[in-house]
Formats: sequence, structure tokens, C-alpha cells
Amino acid sequence: MLPFIPLIVLLAAMLPPLAERYDGRNAGAWTTALVTALALAALLFLSPAVFSGGVQRAGWEWLPELGLNLSFRLDGLALLFGLLITGIGLLVILYARYYLSEHDNLGRFYSLLLLFMGAMLGIVLADNLLLLLMFWELTSLGSFLLIGYWHPRADARRGARLALTVTAGGGLALLGGFLLLGHIVGSFELSAVLAAGETVKQHPGYLATLLLILLGVFTKSAQFPLHFWLPQAMAAPTPVSAYLHSATMVKAGVFLLARLFPVLADTDPWFFLVGGVGLLTLLFAAYAALFQHDIKGLLAYSTISHLGLITLLFGLGTPLTAVAGVFHIINHAIFKASLFMAAGIIDHETGCRDMRQLNGLFKFMPQTAVLAILAAAAMAGVPLLNGFLSKEMFFAQTIHSAALGGAGVLLPVLATVAGVFSVAYSARFIHDVFFNGEPINLPRIPHEPPRYLRVPVEILVVVCLLVGIVPAYTVGPMLAVAAVSVVGGPLPPYSLAIWHGFNLPLLMSALALAGGACMYGQRQWLFRLRDRYPLPVGKILFGRSQRAVISATRQITGWLENGSLQCYLAWLLGTAVLAGGWGLASGGKLTGEVPLQPLDGLSLLLALLLAVAALLTVFWQRQRLTALIVLGVVGLVVVLAFVRFSAPDLALTQLTVEVVTTILLLLALRFLPAEAMVESALSRRLRDAGLAIMVGLGVAILAWGVLTRAPHTALVDYLLATSLPGGGGANVVNVILVDFRGFDTLGETTVLAIAALGIVALLAGGLPTPTAPPVAARDADRHPLLLRMGVRPILAVTLLLAAYVFLRGHNLPGGGFVAGLVTALGLVTQYLAGDFRWTAEKLGFDHQRLIAVGLLLIALTGLMSTAFDHPFLTSTFAHLHFPLTGEFEIASAMIFDLGVYLIVVGVVMLILLELGQSETAEGAWNC
Amino acid sequence: MNFVAPDFMPVVPELFVLTMACLLLVIDVFLEQRQRYITYGVAQLTLLGAALLTLVTYAHAPVTTMFGHYIKDAMGDLLKIFIYLSSAAVFLYSRDYLRRRDLFKGEYYVLGLFGVLGMMIMVSAHSLLSVYLGLELLSLSLYALVAMDRDSPVASEAAMKYFVLGSLASGMLLYGISMIYGATGSVDLQVVSDAVARQGADNLVLVFGLVFLVVGLSFKLGAVPFHMWLPDVYQGAPTSVTLYIGSAPKLAAFALMMRVLVDGLGTLQGDWQQMLIILSVLSIALGNLVAIVQTNIKRMLAYSTISHVGFLLLGILAGSPEGYAAAMFYAIVYVLMAVGAFGMVIMLGRTGFEVENIDDFKGLNDRSPWLAFLMLVIMMSMAGVPFMAGFYAKWMVLQAVVNIGLVWLALFGVVFSVIGAFYYLRVVKCLYFDKPEQSEPIHISLDTEIAISANGLLLVALGLYPTALMTWCATALLN
Repeated sequence: MLPFIPLIVLLAAMLPPLAERYDGRNAGAWTTALVTALALAALLFLSPAVFSGGVQRAGWEWLPELGLNLSFRLDGLALLFGLLITGIGLLVILYARYYLSEHDNLGRFYSLLLLFMGAMLGIVLADNLLLLLMFWELTSLGSFLLIGYWHPRADARRGARLALTVTAGGGLALLGGFLLLGHIVGSFELSAVLAAGETVKQHPGYLATLLLILLGVFTKSAQFPLHFWLPQAMAAPTPVSAYLHSATMVKAGVFLLARLFPVLADTDPWFFLVGGVGLLTLLFAAYAALFQHDIKGLLAYSTISHLGLITLLFGLGTPLTAVAGVFHIINHAIFKASLFMAAGIIDHETGCRDMRQLNGLFKFMPQTAVLAILAAAAMAGVPLLNGFLSKEMFFAQTIHSAALGGAGVLLPVLATVAGVFSVAYSARFIHDVFFNGEPINLPRIPHEPPRYLRVPVEILVVVCLLVGIVPAYTVGPMLAVAAVSVVGGPLPPYSLAIWHGFNLPLLMSALALAGGACMYGQRQWLFRLRDRYPLPVGKILFGRSQRAVISATRQITGWLENGSLQCYLAWLLGTAVLAGGWGLASGGKLTGEVPLQPLDGLSLLLALLLAVAALLTVFWQRQRLTALIVLGVVGLVVVLAFVRFSAPDLALTQLTVEVVTTILLLLALRFLPAEAMVESALSRRLRDAGLAIMVGLGVAILAWGVLTRAPHTALVDYLLATSLPGGGGANVVNVILVDFRGFDTLGETTVLAIAALGIVALLAGGLPTPTAPPVAARDADRHPLLLRMGVRPILAVTLLLAAYVFLRGHNLPGGGFVAGLVTALGLVTQYLAGDFRWTAEKLGFDHQRLIAVGLLLIALTGLMSTAFDHPFLTSTFAHLHFPLTGEFEIASAMIFDLGVYLIVVGVVMLILLELGQSETAEGAWNC
Repeated sequence: MNFVAPDFMPVVPELFVLTMACLLLVIDVFLEQRQRYITYGVAQLTLLGAALLTLVTYAHAPVTTMFGHYIKDAMGDLLKIFIYLSSAAVFLYSRDYLRRRDLFKGEYYVLGLFGVLGMMIMVSAHSLLSVYLGLELLSLSLYALVAMDRDSPVASEAAMKYFVLGSLASGMLLYGISMIYGATGSVDLQVVSDAVARQGADNLVLVFGLVFLVVGLSFKLGAVPFHMWLPDVYQGAPTSVTLYIGSAPKLAAFALMMRVLVDGLGTLQGDWQQMLIILSVLSIALGNLVAIVQTNIKRMLAYSTISHVGFLLLGILAGSPEGYAAAMFYAIVYVLMAVGAFGMVIMLGRTGFEVENIDDFKGLNDRSPWLAFLMLVIMMSMAGVPFMAGFYAKWMVLQAVVNIGLVWLALFGVVFSVIGAFYYLRVVKCLYFDKPEQSEPIHISLDTEIAISANGLLLVALGLYPTALMTWCATALLN
């Protein structure tokens, strides 16, 4: 039955709106009350076992791998809270039915109330920390929705948001604390955790655990300096306030203190943190309450103060203080609920909550006044009322607390001071509202409320009196079982009597009563003092820190995320350099085992040339043409380096590619101004220079590390060994291209062809007019005859060279790719030297068709092998004897290479011509 | 030389997607604008078909093929299924958006499918070569997608930045790959792993390779300090593309991390763990802090992504099976949330009006209570509120980190998720407590509404009963 109590209440949350739609407003209220009464009855039904000292546990596994189970427990503490939640809940339901107006959506209200009540019941009944946490967050959400119930009002929205931010945030801190606690104990089951108190206290993670859990508790219980959300939350409808402030929400925090008391309490950090914060809150809020003009505001601060008192009691950490703490939880819940309801009646019947206007209400609503006066007296700690008893206990404990040593006298003194303030604000509540002259400018003529609005208050005040007069027969047994489960062992002797003889606590009570009366008398003076020296309130601090965070993040955004690509690149490269530096610093050996070769003059010269050319490129980067020429030098030095280190094949390729790209760049440069402007500030250029040097150095270091290590030769050895027998060629590079990785080449050339077509398609949209002034304007001799004539024979030579390079390609440096580039260069030279159109007419063949033929050739070569029952692209070769040339090898791969050749020629010509041709008249080719 | 055909069976889903994408490219050319729905339908069918193929061939034991470049295992198959699922949702959510803005073109779907193919290759990569291949296939598709709205200068700028930065990062990744090849003599992750186990962290070239690999991967994942592209691209790209970038690729990136760092360089865990700690701390802090001041919802979600990436890294850096499972769960849940969140952004747009700012969500509850509720679920889940799927995701990675003794890191994560909750709640406040600034009714086609509802409810369902997916992740990682 136990697990169903919270779950059914939660599920029933959807009923009230349905009931209301079906059968009017009362139906919604009745449904809610019925559900609550059922829960209360179930708890009462289960209670005998608890009173006889047992702990009931029930539930199911949910996510055992996470340690999360739907397990519930009912012990004294849980029963006490369960009864408070459902009992006061019933009264609130009745009260709300008559408090809320015709325009309010009652169904939604009751639905939210049930949701919240279910979550609260879940917290107090949970036997699993994670489950508890879930209900905890659900109460944050529920209170958010309840506080924001009148959401068209701005203050309701603000209050709801603040409450959610603070309490849900605290909940996440609690999550961290529970995570640690579960880690320490090895289980999230509360029963296991409660039994592991000593382990937890000895663990090095204890302090962190405690801090996080307390953060959650203090946000929920509105402890200083995280208390500021609670006064804002009074924008909620009064029934909600009455509920949140008495039996639920803020009590969830102290409930958790009581719950984990056996696990976490009785250490120095606990004493100073919990006790210190409690004491501070007690004093601060009692002081602040006196100066509230809003009656709900006064009550809100008094709640904070009383919660501080309870926290302080738990903080003192002895079994007796724990008993007192539990006792005050009960008493505070009862009198605070009645006080809020009374304040709600006043608000309801006068339309005003300001104590500077509300005066002399006694004669308008004497019955309510009597009830409110009794409740306020209970709050002040007047004898014969319940508040008196727990306050006496509190005073007695402060005297006996030995933990502070020499400063021990401080605690009772401060407690008495807090008592003085407490009496003063209670007196203000009574005297300002019900006496003190005549009401001022009230929106309505005050009168007694409807009968049923007052019934809940009457019941609660009667309970106040009963507990105050005969405590042992009313709360005695309940207090005992609840305290047992807090203390976790046998209870120390204590006495629940009104009269203990003349002793120090009584004197403190008397002092508090007298002092409070005096202070109330002198309130005008105090008000002036406070106006002059306002306290830094938590809300202001919260706002300030919020603003600080926001402005800091704005700065970070402006600094990191300014939208500038250069900046991003700088960050990226800078971090990469740092990361590389970290790798370097990790301690491995940089230089490998390969011995260094002696330095010779030629290599040194080449290196110097390379460096100078690179530096000059940077130096002349803004004069684009010059920079391009120097960049060409860099490329040529690389070619020489390849030759020097016996890589003729690479040298050949590099040389042709270099020339083609230079021409391409030259053509593209025509669309840019001859000189680039200086766009960045000096500081930025310096930064970039530094970065460039660092990156260069980094790459050099990496290259050093790699080059001084022996390369892996497995692949090279394999290729060298199989190139001739397997592919029929001695030029390994070419054999790889046309044979071993023929499939890749097929793919690559296809991509190349598609890319060329894409470029053509893009450029077809039209290029901008070149910015450089046409040379023609300056130079009459646009096509120097000598050049034109001289170039023509060169074509024949280049074609011959291409054929030669192509044919030897399979065995010696060369091949279709290089031959293609050479051919293309020869052709392009013709265009460059002569008139564009004329050359195009003379040489006019369709480059796109050339590409298509090349692709077809490659595909056909591949398919041919399938005709001979070999897999696609299997190659074969034969040796032929020609007269004159001698032995000549012919391989099927050669046809493949021819395809590559054609594609390369076609692609290069297509791109270059397209770039050059997009030109007015014929200026382009003449530059 | 003879060419030995590899076993094509394990790669059938990839081949299917490739074929269909090429086919779609051709089909689309012959369609008129009003027939563009066919392209959309074929794209969806492709994803469905791929999902069926993957399910039918679900791997119970790992199989490698394509000369060791490709592995089919349960982790890969599971992630692929979620990649199809989220991509299908992306296609569906963005359909009406694209149509309204005259972007309803075949390119979106073709590139989208090629991106999916890239992700599939990343997920199933078993060599550094296929890692790079998949990554670039995805990245190139994304660059083009971002630039798809050619009339938008913002989108072009974003695409340009993305391309330049992305190329640089790819370069670094390649650099790292070449160094690892230099040190181990292979790109096959298994061989690399064996070689690394022999050499250890003494070989500096190996360490350099690792560093640059991590740099490249972090960029693709969007971890601070390699995150700069992310907010600009998320904001600049058409929302349908942001939706795409923000969802499935994160799954692929997670798989990539797992393949490269765990499978390939697992023995260097001590080294990469430190790097990942720095990355994740920075990501969590910066993502959560900077998101607070954003007013643009896409930008805010971008920073939220960064912080989620930080949490994801927490799971990986834990270096335990538990941590990997947690990270995988996190990635999947994150993708479901991101698809939902960006889906909402897309859905509230109309012709001539694009949802850009958080303020545009004001009073959604008055206009459409159901959509407001779904958005509430998504935001709560992202914030990691209990009872939501996002809570378990965070919880599991934090627990994994605590279990390897990095308590401070877990606490750091908790503190910043508290801060992070703030900006999600701001959206919730807009939904419920503010007056709507527009009164136009929201038109959503029925299938989209069903899908987004399923999306939101899935998050709730995973919040109530995450065990199934958790177990699935854990067992997928085991074999």
C-alpha cells in the first residue's frame, strides 16, 4: 500500500479539471479532498506499526543498474511529515475553495496542488536517494507552477521564476551531493545510507558531500543568503503560501536535514555550517521581518527565521536538539498555516495587505482577529500555546550546548535577541492590524469572511492550544517516534511539560517577551535607522552576481566569438601549437635513430634559396604578381630538391604542375587589383607573424622528428618487388597509378573530369571584368610577331616530348599524367603568344569530348580484362620488337595511361581556356 | 595484378545508400518543381531501406571487410539505426520549411544522403583511412548544405568560415594520421593498436600523431577551444541545415572518437585522457556560461551543444566500459533532444518569418499548448531535470567519472549544469509566462506533428524507463 500513496496522489492530479468540467467547481474540490483524505487514511492505517517501532519498506526495482529503485519507507519521521502534508493539505483545499474567485481556474489549481502534494509525499516517503531527488525536483516544478498560478501578473511570474531557478538549481547541487554519498556508501538506498554514518564521516569526500547536500537544503529551506526567493514567492495565492510555508516546500529542506541527521551530523563542519547558517538566518530574518509592511511579507520573513531556528537546532547536533527541532517543525507548521490563512482572510475581505493602511480591524472581524491573535501569540512563544514549548526547548538547548567552549554564552544571548525580534514582529502583526486606530483608505469595507474560509483557521488554532496545554497527550507519541528515526537510536530523556519551574529558559522567554514589547514600542526609531542603513539583501547579491556573470560572458563572447575568421584561425592554430608543445613536453625523445647525412654545399644553397624565396613571398605578398613569381621560385627549388634526392619522377611532375598552376594563378590574378591593401592593424599583423613563426617552427620540429626515424619499408619493399613481375613496369609510381591502384585512378580521373565540367558550369555564369587595365591600351604591339612565330615550332617539340615521356612512362620517369601536362602546356603557350580566337580556330577541338574519350578508354581497358575472364582492370603486358627502337614493351596499362593522358589534357585546357576566355574582346591573353 | 573482391555483404547498407543517393541525383534532374515530393519520398525510403537492411544484418559478432578498412559490429549498427532515425526526422521536419523558402531542391536530400553515407563510414571505420574518408564525405556535404541558400549572405559567410576552418582541421587530422602511420606502419586500427601497445608513449611521433588526431576530432565534435565555427554556422545556416548538422553527425563523431581513441589508441589512454579532460572542462564551462547571454535561439542551442559535447567527452575520458556506454547513451539522447529542439524552431517559422530569437517562443502556450508542452519536455530534458531522459544521460557520465576517482570533475559538471539550467528555463518562461507577440495560428502538417509528438514523448518515455536503451548501448559496446 505504501508506494501507492504518493503515486496515486500524483496520478490523481489529472482528475480535478475533469471533475470540474463534469460537475462544477465543488466537484473539483471534493475530488481533491477525497484523494487527500484517502492518502491520510492510508497513512493512519499504516501508522500503528510505526508507533510500535517498526520501519515499513515496500517498492519495486526500477533501474537497478543506476541504483534507482521505486522503494518507499515509512518510519516515524516520514509518518509525521506525511500527516502534516495531508492534514494541512485538506485544510488548504477547503480554504482555497472559498478563497479563490469565480474567475480563477479552480480545476488547474487543484490539479497543481495534488501534483505538488504527491511530490512532497514522495520526498518524505522515498527510501532511495535518487527517487527522493526526483520528487525534490518535482516539488520545485510544482511550486513554480503554483507560485505562478496568477501568471498574468508580473510579480507572480518573477516570483515563480526566481523560486524555480534557486530551488531547482539547489536540487542539482543536491544531485551532486547524492552522487558522492551513493559513491561513498555504495548504494543509493536510504536504509543502507542511514546505516553507513561512520563510513561517510570518515571518508575524504565527506566535506564535499556535505557542502553540496547543504546547498540543496538551504536553497529549499530558504536559508540565508539563499532565502530571497521565499518573500518573492508570496505573489502566490494565499492558500499556496499557507501550504508552502507550513507543511511543505521549505519544510522539505529541514526534512532532509532530519533525514540525513544520523549520516552527516555530529561533526565539526556540520556544526559550523548548519548551526552557523541557521543562527544567521534566525537573526537576520527576524530582524528583517519587523520591517515588512506587507503582512504576507512579514510572515514570509518569520518563516525564514523559524526555519533558521530549526536548522540551528539540527546544527547543534545532539539528540536533544534534534528532538527540539522536530517539535518545532510540528508547531511551526500548525501556527504558520493558520497565520497565513488569517492573512489571506484579511486580504480577501479588505483587498489590502499593507499594515500602514490596515488598522483597527478588530471591530470589523472580531472572530478572525481572535484566531489570528492566538496564532501570532503561538509564533511569539507565549505560554499555553504550542510555540512556547518548542521555544523553551530551544532556549534550554542553547544554554547546554558546550560546543562553542568559551564563547558558549554567546549562543543563549543571540537566541534571546532573536526571541525579542520574534515577539516584536508578532506584536506588530497583532497590534498594527487589529488595533492601532482606524483603517486608512481600504478598497473595501472589512467584514467577517464566509464561514468555511474561517473553519480551517479555527481547527488549526484549536490544535495550537491543545498542543500548548496538554502536549504529552497530543503530540507526545508522534514526536517520540519521529525523533527516534531522526536520532537513529534511543531518545534522551526530555519532558513535554509547560512548567519546569523557574529556570534560565523561562527567564529568557520572559526577557524576549518584555524586550519584544519594548522594541515594538520603539519601532518608529528602528524604522528610521533601517531606512538609513539597509542591509545587503541576498536578492540584491543574487542580482548582482547574475549581472556580473552575464557581463563576463558578454566579454568572453566578444573576445572569442567576434565573428572574425582570422581570429578563429588564430585561436585554432595557437591551440594546435600549444597542443603540439604539450606533446613535445611529454618527455619522449625527439631525434630518431637514423644517422644524419653530412651537409654539402649544394643542399645548403638550395635550402637557403628556399628560405629566401619563402621570406620574399611574405614580404611582397601585397604585390600579387611579384609574390607569384617568387612563389614560383619556391616551387622550382622544390623541383631541384627532388632531383638532388633522386626522385626524378616527382621532379618532373612537380615541374609541370608548378608551371600549370602558375599560369592558372596568373589568369586568376587578373580579377584582383594589382596590389592588396593593408587591412589589418599592426598589432594583429605582429600576432599573425608570431603565430606563423610558431607554426613554422612546430612543423619543422615535427619534420625533424619524423625524418630522423627509419621509415617503414614494408609497403615500399612490396611495391618494388612486385612492380615489374606483377605490373610489367619498372616505374613503380606509374605502375601504382595505372595498375595496382587502377581502380582509384579510374575514380580520381572521373572526379577530375566532373570537377572540370563543374568549373565550366560555374564560370559560365560570367566572371567579373578584370580589374587590371588591358595591356592593349598601353601597348600597340599586342601580339609580338617574333614571339608568335617562335612559339609555333615549340608546339611540335613539346608534343614530341610528351609522346616520349608518355611512352617511357611505364618503366622510367614519365607517364600519362606528366605527358598530359606537358601537352597542355605546349597548347597553352600557343594561346598565350598568339591571338586567342585565331588560335582557337586553328587548334579548335572539343576538350570536353577529349575528356569523354579518355574516360571511355579507361573504362574499356578495365572491361577488356573481363572479356578474358579476369576481374575488372586486370592488366597484361607483352614485349614487342620494333625495328630501330629495339625491344618495346606494350602493356594493356598503356591504353589506360592514354586515357589518363587525354583526360589531363582536356581538363587543364578546359579550365585554363575557360578562365582566360571570359574576357571582353581579346585582351586577356595578351597580358 | 589480380584484384581480389572483398566481402560486400557487411557493407550492403552503405552500398544501398550510395546507390540510392546517386540514383536520386539523376532522378531529381528530370523532376519538375511540383514533383519534388518524389525526391523527398525516395530519400525517406532510402533511409527506411537502409534501416531495414541494417536491422536484418544486425551484427552479433564483429566482422571486418574491405581489406580491414571496415568493421561491422553492434555499436556501429546501433548508432547507424539512430542516424537513420534522426536523419529521417530531419528530412521530415525541414520539408515544409524548405518549401516555404524556395529551398525545396533535390540537393538538400542528395547531400543529406551523402552525409548519411559519410556518417555510416565513420561509424564503421576500422582504419584511419576510412575514418578520414567518412569524415570528409560528411564535412563536404555539410559545407555545401550550409551554403545552400545562396541568396543569404549570412549563410554564405557561415559556409566560408566552416569550410576554411574545417579544411584546416582536416589537415591537422591528416597530419596526425600520417604521423601515426609513420610510427606504426599501418592505418589499420587493429594493427595500430598492437603497434602502439608495443611502443607505448615513448615514441614522440606517436604522441604528436595523437595530439593532432585529437585536435582534428575535437574540431569536428565542436569542443572548446575548437568550437568557434559552431555558433556561427548554427546561426548562419538555414534552420533545416542547422537541424541536420546538430543531430546525427554527433553520433558519428562519438563513434569516431571510440574507433580512433579507444580501439586504435587505447593504450595511450593516459595521454588522451588528460587532453579530453581539458577539452571537456572548457566546453562545459564556456558552453553553459556563454549560452546565458544569447538571444538567438539557434546560437543558444549551439552553445548548449558545446556544453553537451563536454559532457559526452566526460563519458569517453572515463575510459571504462561503463563510461563508454554512458557516453553512447548521452549521444543518442542528445541527438533526440537536438532534433526536437531545432525541429520546434523550424516548425514555428512561417512564410516570410523565421524563428530566430528566444522571444519568438513567447506565449507559445496560448497559441498551441501541445507544442509548448513538447518544447517544455525538450528543454527540461536538455537541462537534465529528473524524470527526463537528459537526466539519466548526465547522471551516467557523472557516475562514470566519479567511479574513476575524478570527483572534482563530476562536481564541476554538476555546478555548470546548474548554471546551464538557467537558460533552458528562460525558454520555458517564455513559453508559459509571456504574452505572445504574434497571433498567427501555427500550421503544421499532420505527419510532422505526429513525428514531433513522438519525438517529445520518446524523451519522456526514456525518462521513465531508460533501461532498455542503456542495456542496448552496454551490450552493443561489449561485443
